[in-house]
Amino acid sequence: MRYETVIGLEVHVELATQSKIFCACHAKYGAGPNEHVCPACCGMPGMLPVTNKRVVDFGMKAGMMLNCTINRTTTFDKKSYYYPDLPCAYQTTQWFAPVAVNGLVEIETSKGKKNVRIKQIHMEEDAGKLVHDISENTSCVDFNRTSVPLIEIVSQPDLSSAEEVEAYLERLKSLLRYAKVAECAMEHGTMRCDVNLSVRPEGSDKLGVRTEMKNMNSIDAIKRAISYEVARHIDAIENGTEVLVQETRRWDDLKGKSYAMRNKETAGDYRYFPDPNVMPVVIDDAWYDSIKASLPEFPEVKRARYIETLGLSEYDATQLTKSIAVCECFEDAYAVCGNAKDAANWLLSEVMSVLGTKKMTPDSLNINGKSLGELIKLVAEGKVSRANGKKILTAMFDDTDLNPAEYAKANDLVVSNDTGLMEKVAKEVLAGEEKAVADFKAGKEKALAAILGKCMKQLKGNCNPQVLREFLISEIGKM
Amino acid sequence: MDKETLRKLELLNQLSLTDAQKADVLGFFANREEELNILNAMNTENTERMVHVMPIMTVVREDVAAQPFSRDDLQKGAPETNQGYWCVPRVVE
Repeated sequence: MRYETVIGLEVHVELATQSKIFCACHAKYGAGPNEHVCPACCGMPGMLPVTNKRVVDFGMKAGMMLNCTINRTTTFDKKSYYYPDLPCAYQTTQWFAPVAVNGLVEIETSKGKKNVRIKQIHMEEDAGKLVHDISENTSCVDFNRTSVPLIEIVSQPDLSSAEEVEAYLERLKSLLRYAKVAECAMEHGTMRCDVNLSVRPEGSDKLGVRTEMKNMNSIDAIKRAISYEVARHIDAIENGTEVLVQETRRWDDLKGKSYAMRNKETAGDYRYFPDPNVMPVVIDDAWYDSIKASLPEFPEVKRARYIETLGLSEYDATQLTKSIAVCECFEDAYAVCGNAKDAANWLLSEVMSVLGTKKMTPDSLNINGKSLGELIKLVAEGKVSRANGKKILTAMFDDTDLNPAEYAKANDLVVSNDTGLMEKVAKEVLAGEEKAVADFKAGKEKALAAILGKCMKQLKGNCNPQVLREFLISEIGKM
Repeated sequence: MDKETLRKLELLNQLSLTDAQKADVLGFFANREEELNILNAMNTENTERMVHVMPIMTVVREDVAAQPFSRDDLQKGAPETNQGYWCVPRVVE
């Protein structure tokens, strides 16, 4: 019998705010234990939450990016469960009227394009962190993460393979990063995913037994976990190796296995009820319109514009628009240097090369695009050689305020107008390169490149290569 | 509310009630059920859903971070702390 896999995802995304969702404590990582806490996020008696406006802004923005309908009156509810990382013994989340509902995300895989329906996006607070290796008899609690704002994006069970899950997650990351609502770095834990999966006979409209794997934070691990779970479900159905039950499971990526954690809770177990301490959030027209007006150009619209208006190739436009940070740098550089193709080439070759050397991702690109444009102009005008341009670019990664022209001057990287020095060096190099000269005369073009390279090295790159090349050809002609 | 539901709620809330407490809780909810039956009998077919009993909305604050409380002050009443952490009974083996 042939089977089909049915997958729905719950994706938790940490929002890029300065402060927590219901109090003014810092939402950033990196502090010592319990240094970013206050009576509100510690759940002290008598505390009252006050909603962070930017969290609602970002919730709406994410909803609009994912083609959702925005609930103009959105409410917070209490989700009760007892665990020491949750100081109030309930999580403030949204159950009855989430900020965004009924969205749609288009994904593309090797099988073509497909729409994935979004059931809802709700805003909620994160839980704290438990540490178990400090003391033998106790668990230790750090509430720094408590109340850090999250959105949870709940898809309908429209995904049917690991490839589709990967495409969906990449699409979410791209859209949310474009909107600048979240970092979405799974490796930093700012994007986590619960995978709900079941298997059924192909063509059947009845869903199979669903299991959930929680807190997945790597796309590769998710793909491995899906493959394992699908095989486990089919084996159970066909061979009766085990009885499938609705449950929450933990994926152990090192062992390549999933393990039962607990029976899956139902909504009733969480005893959701409206939070009497957080009043309804009413989004009026002015607020809604201001968020709508702040939406970025979507990746595919930007890509089409780069091709049609700026004359970039399909490949270059696709590569650039993968990251909003790269796009912004490109657009700033182009605005200064005035040559889109040149700017794209620098971004996709030299800048990407430095990013790779520094083990940085395109999304963490931090150089000043306008300065890059200045640098591209200096190279195009022959004032700095390409080789020295790369040195200046590398320095720009360490100093975002670096002025390329001033740096070139201060570090002796400007092309010299001293033709006397160039001629002296060229003649010295030619005198020691009899074979290369003979090869060039015999028609081997590459021989000239070798001579040119030696000259440039002696001149520390501070020479117009075109002028040097013409001088070398002229001198060889005389030999 | 029956004994089985109450047992489940005890488990979810990490509580252990005495028989007398259980009888109290069951009695309390039996009375609430009567009240709910009255509400359920009302015709609400064309009544618009309310999000709150008062025409009230939340006050939002700007996203500005501050840290007015010190950890030491907040942990003054803690039964046990260790290296800046609150300590709780161990939850994993």
